[in-house]
Amino acid sequence: MIDEEKLMAFADGELHGAERAAVEQALETDAALRGRLEAQRRLRATLSGHYGPVAGEEVPERLLALLGAAKPENVPSLSAARERRKPIRRPAWRNLGAIAATLAVGIVAGQLVPSSAPIGVEDGRLVAQGELAAALETQLASAQTPETATRIGITFADRQGRACRTFDAAAASGLACREDGTWSVLMTGPGRNAAATEYRQAGSPLVLQAAQEMMAGEPLDAAGERAAIDAGWKISGSTD
Amino acid sequence: MGDCRLQAFERELLTLLPRLRRFARSLARDAADADDLCQAALERALKAREQWQPGTRLDAWMYRIIRNSWIDEIRARTRRGQTFLAEEAGACVGAESDADTWMELHDVDRAMAEIPAEQREVIALVLVEGLAYREAAEILEIPIGTLTSRLTRGRQALARRLEAA
Repeated sequence: MIDEEKLMAFADGELHGAERAAVEQALETDAALRGRLEAQRRLRATLSGHYGPVAGEEVPERLLALLGAAKPENVPSLSAARERRKPIRRPAWRNLGAIAATLAVGIVAGQLVPSSAPIGVEDGRLVAQGELAAALETQLASAQTPETATRIGITFADRQGRACRTFDAAAASGLACREDGTWSVLMTGPGRNAAATEYRQAGSPLVLQAAQEMMAGEPLDAAGERAAIDAGWKISGSTD
Repeated sequence: MGDCRLQAFERELLTLLPRLRRFARSLARDAADADDLCQAALERALKAREQWQPGTRLDAWMYRIIRNSWIDEIRARTRRGQTFLAEEAGACVGAESDADTWMELHDVDRAMAEIPAEQREVIALVLVEGLAYREAAEILEIPIGTLTSRLTRGRQALARRLEAA
């Protein structure tokens, strides 16, 4: 019997080894359990969908100013801000989401020199290479163990008919779509080894949210993934 | 970016800021309150910067400061006799607009506001911020078992409210 707490730990990626296998086995035969798992995932998706966009909003000037990233004279004190709830003027560049994205690219770009880096640049695009490219190209998410170095999260077709996958590796996590035989990395975040941000799951909320927004139809299941790999990732039309 | 060269500490806070705002929003429900909370927490962090040890996780340290700042804010409001929207409707000056605000809240915000704070913060760290149980438990300084039981109860309470909404 799988109780609520164990199922929740499974849904959150907190179970490993035999405990994880036991839940997976129970899921195969127990439709009610699958329903409960689905409800857990829906709740997580609802929360990510609601709060995720906050991280993409422009950051108010007064917060940037505290960190020396805005001109201090524009900054009301906290009490003044409470008095006047009017929107704060902001110069165009101060979209911190964009800055964060740039930094992420910068961090990745800083790792580009060795050819063993997971992400390189081709024609101005960020492209997966080496082990990451191999995992994106050939790895079945259903065949991963907790020891798998580069983990694939979900696989889906986007609205342009590209095959896209979320990934989580030591050096970077993110989202990549297949274009002209290579995997374009559209979004990167810290990897598992990043000291400051140890997100363990390929489904870190922002990546997952981006995936949900891009997705046409449902993510592929294990059989769909295998078929897509066997077909050389020609999956356009599979969602109609 | 900007006129002055940012110090490493500020720069790292700057990259964390989108996530910190998201965390504050899931605690505070209201966008203006959440940014006030961020501002108070950043001020605290800048003052206490020597207490942060480079090499340890700044995000975890900041999550803890935000969460503690929010607890302080709630205590201060309670002392001032300012209670929260749900209980306040019809009771004090300004209640009308607050009641309206309450009605206008998104289902998710309302459901989060209705569950106990100790469940809300666990939900925010694990389900919104994507932290591992161990990481969230360290931030909140509670045992893992306490974390998982709050998470289970919080999830059930949220699911009930969102399904009813």
